[in-house]
Amino acid sequence: MSRELGKILVVGGGIAGIQASIDLAEMGFKVYLVEKKPSIGGRMAQLDKTFPTLDCASCILTPKMAEVARKPNVEIIPFAEVIDVVKEREGFRVVVKKYPTYIDFSKCIGCGICVERCPAREKLGAPDEFNEGLSSRRAACIYFPQAVPRKAFIDPNICLYLTRKTCRVCEKFCPAGAIKWDDTEKTLNLYVDAIIVATGYKFVDPKHPALSLYGYGKYENVYTNLEFERLLDARGPTGGELLRRSDRKHPKKIVFIQCVGSRDIRINPYCSAYCCMASIKQAILAKEHEPEVDITILYMDIRAFGKGFQEFYERAREEFKIRFVRGRPVKISEDPSTKNLIISYENTLKGTIERIEADMVVLALGIVPNPPEFMKRLGLVEPDGRVKTIDPSDPITTPVEGIYVAGMLAGPKDIPDSVAQASAAAMKATSFVLKKTPMVIVR
Amino acid sequence: MESSSGDLMTVYAREVSYRVRPDLMNTIEKLGAVGISKCFDCGACTVSCPFSEELGMAPFPRRVIKYVKLGLEDKLVASLEPWLCYYCGDCSDTCPKNAEPAETMMAVRRYLVTKYDFTGLSRLMYLTRLGWLLAIIILGGIAFLIGWLLKGPIVLERTELETFAPVDIVDTAGIAVFIILASILLVNIYRMFRFSVGSLRGIPLTKAFIELIKIVPLHFFTQLRLAKCTFKNYWYIHLMIFYGYGLSFILFVPLLRLTLSNKPFLFVDPLSIAGILSTILLIIGASLMIKGRLEKKTHVWRYSHHTDWMFITLLFLVTITGILTGVFRTLNYPLPTYISFALHIVLVTPFLVLEVPFAKWSHLAYRPFSIYFYRLNQLRGGV
Repeated sequence: MSRELGKILVVGGGIAGIQASIDLAEMGFKVYLVEKKPSIGGRMAQLDKTFPTLDCASCILTPKMAEVARKPNVEIIPFAEVIDVVKEREGFRVVVKKYPTYIDFSKCIGCGICVERCPAREKLGAPDEFNEGLSSRRAACIYFPQAVPRKAFIDPNICLYLTRKTCRVCEKFCPAGAIKWDDTEKTLNLYVDAIIVATGYKFVDPKHPALSLYGYGKYENVYTNLEFERLLDARGPTGGELLRRSDRKHPKKIVFIQCVGSRDIRINPYCSAYCCMASIKQAILAKEHEPEVDITILYMDIRAFGKGFQEFYERAREEFKIRFVRGRPVKISEDPSTKNLIISYENTLKGTIERIEADMVVLALGIVPNPPEFMKRLGLVEPDGRVKTIDPSDPITTPVEGIYVAGMLAGPKDIPDSVAQASAAAMKATSFVLKKTPMVIVR
Repeated sequence: MESSSGDLMTVYAREVSYRVRPDLMNTIEKLGAVGISKCFDCGACTVSCPFSEELGMAPFPRRVIKYVKLGLEDKLVASLEPWLCYYCGDCSDTCPKNAEPAETMMAVRRYLVTKYDFTGLSRLMYLTRLGWLLAIIILGGIAFLIGWLLKGPIVLERTELETFAPVDIVDTAGIAVFIILASILLVNIYRMFRFSVGSLRGIPLTKAFIELIKIVPLHFFTQLRLAKCTFKNYWYIHLMIFYGYGLSFILFVPLLRLTLSNKPFLFVDPLSIAGILSTILLIIGASLMIKGRLEKKTHVWRYSHHTDWMFITLLFLVTITGILTGVFRTLNYPLPTYISFALHIVLVTPFLVLEVPFAKWSHLAYRPFSIYFYRLNQLRGGV
């Protein structure tokens, strides 16, 4: 593409960042897409299916990832973080810190031989972040099979050569000669006209003192919902088999606890919006994996507000016979011999106290927006961690002209809303840039 | 639950015909239910309550909170559960909305006190600060006037407390007040019985009597349920006040003829030692309570209703004037002795008359009886 209307930085390569980058690139802008992780894709890449259609998440996301990578005017900068943003002349100077990967990305062909040969595995390996720590990865690693860019990287914390000066097996086998032991941290300076921040969210800490009675981390069979999603995924740590952490047996009874860290004055007063539907989806998927499994969802209110959501909820109840009980448990206890979990709750619609013994408990964790440090320095973050926008009716434009937000960073929402907001942010950024540099129409 | 002979329709009709009072929640809020409007009925309080399982899996405290929110006055008045709650605060700790269920239970207890009282005075004092002040001033004034009219000669050469306050008069007045207050309180306890148990029909009488002997004295003297509270110090402080109060009651009501005399106050005789002990217990207990209510560090003291302050302040002042009387009497300062004694009478009269049957003091009777009445309901159910 010859015409370049301006340069725009997109921070965060999740579904929102990807969508914004695609839209901007199609309008003719130069886009820098900075991602902290080794691959773009974000949280959506970790999901097995999406609600309410049960479409495979990868089937929607992977083409978009490939598309953004194919755009000639998009520069994906993985393994990097924006550490500072300074307003300069008409636009911004952005300082990006790029972490060393010890593999020359221009040479790496993503064959995975280094991963195969790397001896830093099992006990010498590290928890696999993509699988939420449910499996381990080696020192040489490709983030996940569909990673974009599909390049290997070496974890300097566990690499035998970088820690103990032994091994160098990967170097010996790499067909492209891409191993680069002298790789160092680099700082890049980018000059851009506008910025879209889509750094997403982090989960409420399941070990928060107010949640400690749920025993996450203490009881093996208490899972977070993203961990459970990884178990459901065929690419996941168990190859898509539902297996308990404690004895690797199939669960017979699963309990979902909703509003964990949401609508709770001690943690997050607000509703995290995604968890009702996510749990219903996971419950249906678990039923599809194990038709015999008995599932109870302990909810506060089922907030099924989107297109097809209410129908999805009703399908879960009627077709899949998932039990919905309105009640909030405060404590989980464990049977030390079977590692089963005992949950007491009040069935608040019946006014009775009930007790379930479950093999597995899934905590539907609330979320908190995850703004990058530079936003905090620019005063764009409220004391409660949410980002500031100029107007309640404009959830995209921040008080700093030229900086826009999209996706979960701007508040809890689902994938379609994130995508819609990303396109809107791209539009806002476009009009901001074009306003200050009037387009010359050449006839 | 219902007897099999009952016609299903009438049972149903009986179950559903409750009078709804929309203003009930406002009343309970005024009595100290600080967060009740924030409650979104999640049931977390129920499962955190160490007591709900003991109650046969009844959804306590949410059921009581629901009565308040729905305005089911009759159901609320018949509830004994709030009295069985020992205020440990676990429900307030786990509440995701800061709805303070423990405070609602406290407010409901205050409400129940106003309901058990047949005179209506209790309601007046609980709902208005002015009512309290007025009642204290009037009763103090009456005590002062009667005392002034009946007082003996004022001897200034040496301290003659009995000459100033003839023991015949003080003793008679004391016993008369005691009988009146005890009768009112008994009527209130009977009303509590009527509301919560109804009648003794269907309850084996000998068993009911045995349970009375077993339950009421035990809980009256030990406040055992309070011992289950997570905040143990509260139980100790509570016991200090209880035993300090009990001891001074014995010394200055049944034994008044021995304690109120012209003899100088001596440290060696057992009565003086008992007197000193009782005042020490009371003054330490009351001071710790006041300190706790000012510091607001635990659930029990975080929110104070004006009736809590009235109780503890009056108790503190009564104790102080009592101590002063004793000190001046020992030091042989006639006039200060008489003045502090007169003040003591002016304070102790409203304290007892108001607190015993109408206000916070009455929980001394309601707490053990609630456990007994709860047991009676169980006996009728065949448990």
